[in-house]
Amino acid sequence: MDFLKSISIAASGLRAQAGRMRVIAENVANADSTAQRAGTDPYRRKIPTFRAEMDRALDAKVVGMGRTRTDPSDFRMKYEPGHPAADTNGYVKYPNVNSLVEMTDMRDAQRSYEANLNVIGATRRMIQRTLDILRA
Amino acid sequence: MPISAIPIFSILRTKMQWHQERQKLLAENVSNADMPNFKPRDLAAPKFDGPTPSAGGATLALARTSPGHIGASASATQFQLDRNGRFEVRPAGSGVNLEDEMLKVAANQMDYQAATTLYARSLGLIKTAIGKR
Repeated sequence: MDFLKSISIAASGLRAQAGRMRVIAENVANADSTAQRAGTDPYRRKIPTFRAEMDRALDAKVVGMGRTRTDPSDFRMKYEPGHPAADTNGYVKYPNVNSLVEMTDMRDAQRSYEANLNVIGATRRMIQRTLDILRA
Repeated sequence: MPISAIPIFSILRTKMQWHQERQKLLAENVSNADMPNFKPRDLAAPKFDGPTPSAGGATLALARTSPGHIGASASATQFQLDRNGRFEVRPAGSGVNLEDEMLKVAANQMDYQAATTLYARSLGLIKTAIGKR
């Protein structure tokens, strides 16, 4: 039945957005994870990617999480001479996580998630309407 | 005479199938909303003023001449794709406008409800005619 296919497609969107949310949560949680020793790198920001998959059973393009990539941008440098990971000049590398960017990404993921939920709700009501014919 | 042979029922059935197909495409659009280079699709409304509408009409399927063949899905839509919709690409690279899609989902749902209500009412008419009310 096509309505159930609609729900499955929307569910793939829910899964993908939830996975994106997980990566964002990882970034936010590790926003201050410095390295243990001098000369090593701190946590590097991760970027979730999406991938369209052709689902033969559904005869539609569903969305899935692709490989998680890392952000190659520069680390934040902070002057903290007493820190165990400080280099010879007293600077510590902090992760290249910008909490403002993460929050914006989170809102975006949330919005897409709600849109998919909305589709599921509408489809569910349409199925309900079909069943209502039986009761007429 | 089966119920589906009565014109109003066959028309309503075609319309409901159309809404079902469209809901699938809309779900595809929404779930791929964050995909770069994705182009949203939509169905053109079915026309009932032409020659008799083919309810559940014969779709063109590939012939299977050997039992080893994998059956090509005959679910290829019998409805026309709407090719002259609005189309804008967001900076993220996707052509899906979530607000538009939500609007379409809501409209689709309401029209579907109208069709099913009409269907139920028409069934009621027949019940009245055979004197079961």
